[in-house]
Amino acid sequence: MIEVIKENRSKLAVHGLECSGYSLPAGQVGGDFFEFISINDRIVYTAIGDVMGKGFQAACLMEKIRKLLRDCINVNPHPLEVVRRLNKLGGHELRKFRSFTTLCLLCFDVVARRLTCVNAGHHPPLLLSGGRIKVAECRGIALGLLEDYLGSGMDEYFLAAGDVVVLYTDGVVEACGPDEQRYGQERLKEVVCLNHGFDAERIRTNILADLDKFTKGIPQRDDITLVVMKLTEKAGDRGGD
Amino acid sequence: MVKGELDFSNVDQLQQEIQRRSEEVVEVDLRGLQFIDSSGAGMLLSQARLLYKQGRTLRIVNIPGLIREDLEVIGFFRVLEVLGINPGA
Repeated sequence: MIEVIKENRSKLAVHGLECSGYSLPAGQVGGDFFEFISINDRIVYTAIGDVMGKGFQAACLMEKIRKLLRDCINVNPHPLEVVRRLNKLGGHELRKFRSFTTLCLLCFDVVARRLTCVNAGHHPPLLLSGGRIKVAECRGIALGLLEDYLGSGMDEYFLAAGDVVVLYTDGVVEACGPDEQRYGQERLKEVVCLNHGFDAERIRTNILADLDKFTKGIPQRDDITLVVMKLTEKAGDRGGD
Repeated sequence: MVKGELDFSNVDQLQQEIQRRSEEVVEVDLRGLQFIDSSGAGMLLSQARLLYKQGRTLRIVNIPGLIREDLEVIGFFRVLEVLGINPGA
């Protein structure tokens, strides 16, 4: 029996880092995923991805990739090595089904406030800092397309209290309204800027509300997944935890 | 020429058409394409790999701007370059 997943939402708050994620499959089950993985008291991984295809097969592959991701982090937590290993191990599985998956992996050190980003064919994250928004520069080839992962390497950013990081799948920016216009990255950036004063959960819900307003509730053909991370004033201060 | 939408529901049709061709260079004209999903992109890359292995070429032309942007994100063009040099990559 196939379990029908209507939506998936999750929150994580650890040492001043708030994470809020939401995923809505276009069909009964989808290939989009996100993960918050806290491996110790200072390192948090956030991953978002999209397995090619639709339905049950994509969902099964997605579950395998999620499990492999955790295994790879356990073997060697260096973010670039995680992605390389995942491409080796998961790529074999993906190619068997003529599939591939996009992945953006973020590793945040809450003490150093250092965000490391490795990208495999996914939309790079949006970074909002001091009221200015930019698109992270990390690029790379989706997992499973080549035997060896190819990418621009690791991007590093040092975050300050109040900074916001937004991850999303193509279903967000390619969502269409009644006139077939795309929601697009520019509108997403504007909404993130407008909502930067709220907590991660509220920013996420406000982006999704704006997306719903734009699409006027028209069912979309792709899964929609959105993750918002925000650093609060207490980031890096582990006293009393 | 490919028109309309290329997605999970009709990707097999285009794949069969590519496989039916016997030319050394098979050209796929995307001028009329309005939407492509990951299944479509994956199929084009797998066919490109297959043809390169046979010493042939899949040439994808007239890619509309928005679709080019979508394909750029997954590394589509970089993969084509790599496969052109080493189809077994």
